Amino acid sequence: MSKSLLKSLSLFLIIVLLLPLGLVGCGGEKSSEKVLVIGYDKDADTLDHFKTGVYHDALIYVYDRLVTRDYDYNYKPGLAESWEISDDGTVWTFHLKKGVKFHDGTPLTAEDVAWCIEKIIDPETGSPAQSDFAAVKAAKAVDQHTVEIHLKHPFPNLLFILSNTVAGIASKEAYEKYGDEYGSKYIVGSGPYMLEEWKRGEEVVLKKNPDYDWGPDWMENGGKPIIDKLVFRSIPEETTRLMELEAGNVHILRDITSNVLLQLEDNEDIEIYSAESTRLGYLAYACDKEPFTDIRVRRALNHAINKEEIIKYVFRDTAQPAYGYLPPKLKDEYYPNSKEEGYEYDVEKAKELLREAGYGNGLKLTLAAENSTEFKRLAEVIQDQLKEVGIEVEIQLYDSSSYTAMLKEGKQELFLRQYSWPNADILDWFLLSSQMPYPNHSRWNDPKTDELIQRAATMPTWEERALAYHDVQKHLIEQAVWVPIYIPNHSIAVRKEVKNFKHHPWMIQYNDGIDLEN
Amino acid sequence: MDLMVGPNVTPEVYENVRNKLGLDKPLYVQYFTFLKNVLRGDLGTSILKNVPVKDLIAERLPITLKLGVLSLMVSFAIAVPVGIQAAKHRNTPVDYLSMTFALIGISIPTFGFGLTLLYIFAYKLRWFPISGHGSFWHLVLPVFTVGLTDAAVTARMVRSNILEVMGEDYIRTARSKGLSEKIVMNKHALRNALISIITLLGMRLGWILGGSAILETVFSIPGLGRLMVDGIFSRDYPVVQGSMLVLGASVLFGNLIADILYAAADPRIRY
Repeated sequence: MSKSLLKSLSLFLIIVLLLPLGLVGCGGEKSSEKVLVIGYDKDADTLDHFKTGVYHDALIYVYDRLVTRDYDYNYKPGLAESWEISDDGTVWTFHLKKGVKFHDGTPLTAEDVAWCIEKIIDPETGSPAQSDFAAVKAAKAVDQHTVEIHLKHPFPNLLFILSNTVAGIASKEAYEKYGDEYGSKYIVGSGPYMLEEWKRGEEVVLKKNPDYDWGPDWMENGGKPIIDKLVFRSIPEETTRLMELEAGNVHILRDITSNVLLQLEDNEDIEIYSAESTRLGYLAYACDKEPFTDIRVRRALNHAINKEEIIKYVFRDTAQPAYGYLPPKLKDEYYPNSKEEGYEYDVEKAKELLREAGYGNGLKLTLAAENSTEFKRLAEVIQDQLKEVGIEVEIQLYDSSSYTAMLKEGKQELFLRQYSWPNADILDWFLLSSQMPYPNHSRWNDPKTDELIQRAATMPTWEERALAYHDVQKHLIEQAVWVPIYIPNHSIAVRKEVKNFKHHPWMIQYNDGIDLEN
Repeated sequence: MDLMVGPNVTPEVYENVRNKLGLDKPLYVQYFTFLKNVLRGDLGTSILKNVPVKDLIAERLPITLKLGVLSLMVSFAIAVPVGIQAAKHRNTPVDYLSMTFALIGISIPTFGFGLTLLYIFAYKLRWFPISGHGSFWHLVLPVFTVGLTDAAVTARMVRSNILEVMGEDYIRTARSKGLSEKIVMNKHALRNALISIITLLGMRLGWILGGSAILETVFSIPGLGRLMVDGIFSRDYPVVQGSMLVLGASVLFGNLIADILYAAADPRIRY
């Protein structure tokens, strides 16, 4: 009995262990197909862009948008070959390119475009982007190739929101046909790549759209894709991700941190593309709490931070010092006098301001940050710098979700933040009093700021809007609402097999003449 | 709520979503609705993925189970012979050597051990794929990572179980009957130690499945453990609830299997 039991157990063991071997046969696909693999830390939650606030990169290539942005952040025609604005600035008419087809072969019409925009602004959809489209009253198809967008008030930033991933034009027919399966099994756009398969938790696979030749003019060859397949693989562990890159199984890694950068520096197979990003890292504080209600304390903090030192030691020179509230890359909107009107590093001045404010004997504060290598190191350097001016800081680290929860509850004193956004409306998001307590976690409640932002956001033209945002930034600098610290470079690691790579700072365009050598 | 709709949202959208989720009802009503739904096999819908949690688990549980069961087999295939040898040659170099390895195995965190194996066998030697899942070769490293570290724990337990049995009166009786040491070991000691080893099997299965989260992160395997961890980080509560429930249930299931196997191992136990 004992023997037979042992025998049957071991037989079972052998069978189970060998079973998968029989299934391996189908592996090892070697073909001449060009398959570009891009590594990510996270997989998509859903591919239905109407229902999420987190857009997976695959959506960039599956959909076309009315407006595109070229390598210098200029707004250029996309699906719309031209547009005009009514004299009062409230009606925009877009003329669509002709001959554009969805992946299922049906033509893309003005009706699809109008439906998509209506879908976002419909409260029933529950789109997180609804507020971005708050200025939009309605979208109407005038004829097959003309769409009118009616606004509640002049809103030049419409170009920006129409160029974002959320404004990708989906097929109305397909969306309604697939119902709940849209976004998990099917997505139908008109972009250069179409969905082949989504293995949830693993990868999104896109294949080339062979008909695509309606890309924007600024792309090579009309944006006709060369690479056959794009694979967006999720590899949560950074070390594993790096090994895959170095082994050549992943061709591109986005958002490389400065630590990884050092590690890859000597690798001849990998090229690092770095460019100034539209991100901004800053030290913030709860402006409605003591001692931050006192402008002298806020200014003292600004004088106390040595940005150059931070950039050298924390970011190993992969960042630029920040002086204003927007990244300089937003060349129209960025306030050009930010540096001159800002606060230079000056320990004595900081001490003096603190003395005037009645904190001559020192101050004890907490500094909250997200628990990542970079933020942790940044917090430590800031702790050290603030000590110089007599501010004793206790660092508190949080994982990302409890960090957000803590900020919502309003428990913060000093805290570190970084945003990534290519538009001046980020200031509305963070600093309007109506956004308290979150995302206005600086708890900045100031009627003058509200007024300046409202004015800027509803300016009739892009140029006037940009100038009005200069006033907003000037006011913020004067009030010392944050301590702007750094603009990190956006770095991306690309293997040498990838040819003709171009670094687009916001949405990398794999269909812009980029090729892959097998 | 904020997770679904974002912080910058109009009150209409907010109320709309709240109503859809049933969050406008009192807490106890929500709880009983949850229980009622669980009994009907409805684990709710993922907040972020907008897909029934049941479907997500159905996709991922087989992957985690396969890994878990295979690891357990590797673990026992190593641990049982090692444990027996150590017990047999108690207080000899064989015993010391195997128990030293066991001690090292217990002390190494799965995470670090997995990365080390990855670095040597997948990255440097290129014998196995680095990440992903699907083929047999993808399974080897993760299975051995867990199998080997778990074998360390199990081997120590097997050893002490056998030593305990060896001290029993019937072993002395068997020896005094003049039976050979081999027969004493195989017929008397092992058979009796088997019961506690089977208990161990059930317990370890639950332990391995519960620890799958770390392993699945290192090796990029889309299993249940990673579903749960991702759920925790993105605060997707229905996903966390659902995967916890299933992982908990699998521990119970492991124990149930152990109970059933008792009957096969010990004729005194009958159900």
